[in-house]
Amino acid sequence: MEEPEFFQLFVEGERVVDVDVRLSYNHRGMEKRCETLTYDQIPLLLARICGICSASHPMACASALEDLCGIEAPPRAQYIRSIICELERIHSHLLWVGLAGHFIGYNTVFMWAWRYREPVLDLCEKITGNRNHYENFKLGGCRRDIPQEAIPEILECVNAVEKPLTMLTKAVLDDPVLGVRLKGIGILSETDGRRYCVTGPTARGSNLPIDVRRDEPYAAYDWVKWDVITQPQGDVFAKAVVRLLETYESIKIIRQCLEKMEPGEIDNEPRSIPEGEGIGHAEAPRGETFHYVRSDGTNYPIRYKCRAPTFVNLPSFKATVVGAELADAMLIVAAMDPCYSCTERMAVVDRRRHTEGVLTMKDLLRMSHERTARLIQRHGIRSAQWES
Amino acid sequence: MNRDQLVKQIDNDLGSKVADVFRRNAKRVYLTVEPENSLAVNRYLFEHGGRLATATGVDCRDWIEVCYHYCFDPLNVVVTVKTRAYKPACELDSVATVFPGANFIEREIQDLLGAKFLNHPDPRRLILADDWPEGVYPLRKDYHHEAHVNTGRAVSPDHGRARVLSALRRG
Repeated sequence: MEEPEFFQLFVEGERVVDVDVRLSYNHRGMEKRCETLTYDQIPLLLARICGICSASHPMACASALEDLCGIEAPPRAQYIRSIICELERIHSHLLWVGLAGHFIGYNTVFMWAWRYREPVLDLCEKITGNRNHYENFKLGGCRRDIPQEAIPEILECVNAVEKPLTMLTKAVLDDPVLGVRLKGIGILSETDGRRYCVTGPTARGSNLPIDVRRDEPYAAYDWVKWDVITQPQGDVFAKAVVRLLETYESIKIIRQCLEKMEPGEIDNEPRSIPEGEGIGHAEAPRGETFHYVRSDGTNYPIRYKCRAPTFVNLPSFKATVVGAELADAMLIVAAMDPCYSCTERMAVVDRRRHTEGVLTMKDLLRMSHERTARLIQRHGIRSAQWES
Repeated sequence: MNRDQLVKQIDNDLGSKVADVFRRNAKRVYLTVEPENSLAVNRYLFEHGGRLATATGVDCRDWIEVCYHYCFDPLNVVVTVKTRAYKPACELDSVATVFPGANFIEREIQDLLGAKFLNHPDPRRLILADDWPEGVYPLRKDYHHEAHVNTGRAVSPDHGRARVLSALRRG
């Protein structure tokens, strides 16, 4: 909600010595708008917060409202919620892997990752009617059922995604260039992670095993077997590994959900909204989304608070980018997986020369590609994929 | 340690600093705290493993209610600290002095609701545009959009460059 961003990097030569972040160029005032909407309309608006997290925000909203009313959705609705949330995680992580590849000049990864993202989006369309903005979550359940006869088709598609995913993961993890390029940059230590209260893959890449799906199981996550992926290094590579391995867990969850799902009710709508307050959080692909609602018993909330994961992950940029090279700065921001429209431009102030300039995304991309090329030369790596 | 032990421990250790402990259900605990004890209670929760998820400001006629939400992830419980910043001063001690994770969260409340966080390390504007009028808080209940001038411009024309240059001149 608080994106695009403007980063001011203070550098000495090529090294970043300080950073200042400005946000909220596009603040949309959704919290204020929620105060004028009924509880049925709010999840629909919140899906519009982000095109990628369009299942996580309504999910957190539904849990907050269910916490307020003291009800639970029927089991079939919980399974459907889990399936949609995990499909969203797969396509979001594939999007990230592709973009990370693009940022360092590895466009082969970009093309492969996005190619395998397509069938997942098509599957979302098949299940919910839309590639993004699923509109399937509501207070007390789901709006649309998954037809039982569609399940074999979904399983087939999930299986079809797994194979190329294995290939992609292997290619990324074993690639020598990616190793030297991504390891050891933008390290977020465990202590800093805790001090900055980071969430999601940013935290799990720094050895902080925080995952709302396990810590406060919502939807069907308590009824299926899966693991929380953590990596101890805290660098950009660790976050990439967390994301890639998480997609496997997502596939595991979807499979089990489809197997365990039994026909039944999908909606358990309460008769009225009581006075009081409710808290709901959900694990979005980028981290925890946190929603708080306060009601006075009328049709409209008094206050609706919604915190997106980037808002808490972004300040940790200060801990990770200081001391890094300018060519790595964009990659370090990207490792947090903020909305990409954010990294539109950066201002660079050279403290020694007292000059100032604004680098656009294009300049930073070029610098990043040049650094990759230098590393390839230095380490003498030969590979057909690295044409530049 | 489980949830009940945590609540008991909070009750024992903080005792008089917490005016009321309310368990809405097994997973949600609400602590009501006087403004002068807010910093101590927040510090205690952070040091005992709480992760500040966010803070919510609510405009309640005579005060701004600020709710700090701490997640105790392994225990599956969210502890909310409710405190009040009384109008017209709306002052509270800043929690960002204890850990940097609260920095943006408090600046957001300061912008949108006008609570003042004392000793905040970086109390600049975060959410509102540079040319937004002083003393107008959009999330307050008495805010009327039409009454306030809307320039239709979201950012300052130089993207804050004047501020950078003046900082450089100062050295």
